[in-house]
Amino acid sequence: MKETKDIKKDFLWRIYLMYFFIVLFGIAVLFKAGTIQIAEGDYWKAKHDREQVKKVSINASRGNIFSADGSLLATSVPIFELRMDLISDPITDKLFYENLDSLALCLSQTFPNRSKSTWKTQLKKARKNKDRYFLIARKVDYPTLKKVRTFPIFKLGKYKGGLLVQQQSRRELPFKNMAMRTIGYDRVSNKPLGLEGAMNKELAGVKGKRLVQKIANGVFRPVNQDNEIEPQDGNDIVATIDANIQDVAHHALEKQLIKEKAHHGCAILMEVKTGAIRAMVNLTRLDSITYAETFNYAIGEGVEPGSTFKLASIMAAMEDGYTDLDEIVDTEGGKKALAGGYVLKDSHDGGYGKISVKQVFEKSSNVGTANIVLKYYKKQPQKFIDRLYSFGINKPLGIILPGEHNPYIKDVKSKFWSALSLPLMSIGYEEKLTALQILNFYNTVANNGKMMQPQFISEVQSKGQKVKTFEPVVLNPSICSQSTIDKAREMMEGVVKEGTATYLRTAPYQIAAKTGTAQIAQGKTGYGSTNKKYLASLCGYFPAKDPLYSIIVMIYDPSRASIYGNEVAGPVFREIADKVYSNNKSIHKPLQKDTSALLVHVPIIKCGKKEDIQKIAQELSLKTALEGNQKSYLRVKQENDGFVGTTIILNDSEVPKLIGLGLRDALSILENQKITVKVIGRGTVRKQSLTAGTKVTQGAVITIELS
Amino acid sequence: MRKSQQGIFKNIDWLMVIIYLLLVTMGWINIYASVFNEDHYLITDLTQKYGKQMIWIGTSLLLALIILVIDGNFYAAVSWPLWILVLLSLIAVLFFGTEVSGSKSWFRFGEFGIQPAEFAKFATAMVLAKYLSQLNIKMTEVKTKIISSIIIALPIGLILLENETGVALVFFAFILVLYREGLSGNFLLLGVVAIVLFILALLINKTILIIALAIISAILFLFMRKTSQNFILLFSLFVLSSAIIYSVDYAYNHLQSHQKKRIDVFLGKESDIKKAGYNVNQSLIAIGSGGLTGKGFLNGTQTKYDFVPEQSTDFIFCTVGEEWGFAGTAVVIILFLILLLRILFIAERQRSSFSRIYAYGVASILFFHLSVNVGMTIGLAPVIGIPLPFFSYGGSSLWSFTILLFILIKLDAYRLEILR
Repeated sequence: MKETKDIKKDFLWRIYLMYFFIVLFGIAVLFKAGTIQIAEGDYWKAKHDREQVKKVSINASRGNIFSADGSLLATSVPIFELRMDLISDPITDKLFYENLDSLALCLSQTFPNRSKSTWKTQLKKARKNKDRYFLIARKVDYPTLKKVRTFPIFKLGKYKGGLLVQQQSRRELPFKNMAMRTIGYDRVSNKPLGLEGAMNKELAGVKGKRLVQKIANGVFRPVNQDNEIEPQDGNDIVATIDANIQDVAHHALEKQLIKEKAHHGCAILMEVKTGAIRAMVNLTRLDSITYAETFNYAIGEGVEPGSTFKLASIMAAMEDGYTDLDEIVDTEGGKKALAGGYVLKDSHDGGYGKISVKQVFEKSSNVGTANIVLKYYKKQPQKFIDRLYSFGINKPLGIILPGEHNPYIKDVKSKFWSALSLPLMSIGYEEKLTALQILNFYNTVANNGKMMQPQFISEVQSKGQKVKTFEPVVLNPSICSQSTIDKAREMMEGVVKEGTATYLRTAPYQIAAKTGTAQIAQGKTGYGSTNKKYLASLCGYFPAKDPLYSIIVMIYDPSRASIYGNEVAGPVFREIADKVYSNNKSIHKPLQKDTSALLVHVPIIKCGKKEDIQKIAQELSLKTALEGNQKSYLRVKQENDGFVGTTIILNDSEVPKLIGLGLRDALSILENQKITVKVIGRGTVRKQSLTAGTKVTQGAVITIELS
Repeated sequence: MRKSQQGIFKNIDWLMVIIYLLLVTMGWINIYASVFNEDHYLITDLTQKYGKQMIWIGTSLLLALIILVIDGNFYAAVSWPLWILVLLSLIAVLFFGTEVSGSKSWFRFGEFGIQPAEFAKFATAMVLAKYLSQLNIKMTEVKTKIISSIIIALPIGLILLENETGVALVFFAFILVLYREGLSGNFLLLGVVAIVLFILALLINKTILIIALAIISAILFLFMRKTSQNFILLFSLFVLSSAIIYSVDYAYNHLQSHQKKRIDVFLGKESDIKKAGYNVNQSLIAIGSGGLTGKGFLNGTQTKYDFVPEQSTDFIFCTVGEEWGFAGTAVVIILFLILLLRILFIAERQRSSFSRIYAYGVASILFFHLSVNVGMTIGLAPVIGIPLPFFSYGGSSLWSFTILLFILIKLDAYRLEILR
């Protein structure tokens, strides 16, 4: 008995010992954790702060956007923020005060916004305050950085000299305002826009990572030589935009908007077969002579198209087998009373009497068009709508650019449907389309019924190598019968030959188009009776027989005498078309062989470097009379048998003689000299604010007036 | 009839289940915080460790349910075959396993891996219980000691061959089970003395140490009854100690360099904070900078930038310390303590000795893991790469701990039906 009791007691002891161990362990751990976290908490926190190492991301450089012709549309340039660690160990008192004066002098020369004495006092003060993060300058470019690195103290080296350089990057659009909205941007707090937004994933690349250790407030230095994860640079994008044509379209539209004092406008050039957008201009009025790209109207603004929509209406009636080109329609003296006392009018008072369908289209008769549609669809309006839908014009184009406005073409089930809807829709009201959507419909007609998707990108490249190609996308292989297409094209050719589009008639190549002059609904006040606003448009393609390009020009609220598509939008259309025509050899008829072409002519050179001009002259055995030294820029005149050159600029440190130069030449010279340029007007340089031949100072600004 | 109505949850110890669920959930949240990836911010994102852990938790719960469904007699019966199966898989992994940073202990199946060594823990606990619960087994007998040692030593040997020293050490915890079952306390004492000698041998010159030991022995002999028996005892102890000292020296010199470094760092012989001491230093900074209430969920900077290595597995306790502060560490420690004490309490209420011994096995394993894992993160123990039970990321370890605990819960629930 006693033995079992002892054994029991022994086992109890063992159990208690186990409990004791566990509790002892618990207390030990809690005590130790408490010591570290509470008693020594501050010590560890300080240690944590001191040894703080963190991973920072390294931005990958963003890809470039190129135009179809290889010009740079958007690129990133590095800029630098410069700071100084004034108590970097190697900067002893002796070193600092011996070099303070010369450093301040250098800084004041490079950054003249602070004088030498200001720099001196500020540097002194910063050193006294033990400032390890003293700001020298923001947004410094690379050449300046290189120069700053040679300054006293800084030249000691990367960490010793105390110069802290932080690289950032800035997105630059070399063509500035041109196609700005189509190129777009991708900024944090904004909705992505344009190509930058649409292709952000390709352009952005992949951020890298680097481990850095804190060495002072806000100052970190890399822990290892190499980055932990190397950043992968973004890919380049090749846009379908052609910089030359875009340039012409931009200036043509700008000129016309200024002339017509319009509120805004847009112009698009599209390649018929592929849907590639070669130019897309959107300009908004800022003041009487300044227009800028602030909104992409071409894709983002749905408008009541007006007369350009008549093409779809008449094509619908043709496709349904109801009407034909030569059916006679009564235009009823240019006035027709509709339901509810609404009177439909033609722009030509008194109307055109009884004319054929083709003529209705050519003259753009509202009454005639409404009568065609009413005659066949009054009892079955949904059939008209269904036919329009079958053309695909009620569907968004699904373009790559963000922000496309959905087309709005209602059907009879809509609560907005009324007795007026059918006649008004037939002439382009009570429905909304964007300029690009209208153009795409016309492009489809030009492309014999094959509907393409507008393309903005042709290629993605990585370091010059093709990564991805964007093939043309067919949205609908055939929207209607070939006979309807043929008739539509005949009508459009008629508009230019005999109808409203007189401005296009004189072109040396045949254009097919349709004009549009729509009244603009102004919110609650309707179309207005006293202060009417108009949308002048012109949409078409060329060459008429074998179309290569389609164009739409829309000008919103022209506020001078004319409101008509032909007069207001016509000149822009022509200028773009002419430019494309002159550039595109395939449009021209083959030239007769001209033997005189073999004779040497003096080529046209406007300006250039002396050595280059000499080279050309040598090749062609021409005489020269050139001023200046080899590196001089010369303005060149052609004489009978050679060049005569006068100096524009001798060397980079002098303000050049710019009078008579084109903007691009002037800009490229001034840019090389780091002179900031303000431009007024367009054409050739008429006036320059800095006198030619004077010394170029740091941060100089020149204003040039062109005419 | 009544039995089937109450179903599988009859007599279940809900306290253990609740603590288990709490620990697993807290573990999941802390894994999320420790390897948080902004690009994959959903805790259920299967490409991330936290998403995978969710799968491990789900499958663990399924395993737990299966264990509860199976008849309570099953586990004692299946002990030996299961143990042999696990040993075979430990051998198989040596040939067919995948080598991961010098250890060959994983079977890889695509993205997932299984580590048989983890499963050896509960299998060994079961076999030990099975063996010792036989009617005529007495711990005092030499045969029992030898067989018990073999049961424990076999998996240790195989796991050492796989180069998983940390996992192998866990099995030494079974000495506590043997102690509870009647092993003389002298063995525990001997163990403790051996550890002390081990540490001293590394710190002090061995000749000096042996001279000191000789002096101590002599003094002890002066105070004891001067019988020849006592002399022989003391003398043999002295010889044994000297042997330990020399073998420690030998073993230390034959350790791998990273193991040597870890020991040196723990003993304070080396404070190279860039290499071996780096983990502990970073871990201490992480936990220490957490302060009383922590930096808050997902705000631990120290843990986020991969400073503390093995953040989601062996050093998960750092995340708790950094983000939840002393409050968080205390909660976790106290939960574990309650669990351990509860297991001991449950062990002593069993009628079947199999269940009781198994319960001690569970407690020993959990206690060893907890003390070593938490100990190393706060600098109380050398760095030994073993996970924190229920907390650390990893399928094999979570499965193995779940099976370990839920077999106990099942045995406990079944206790009233034994011997009736």
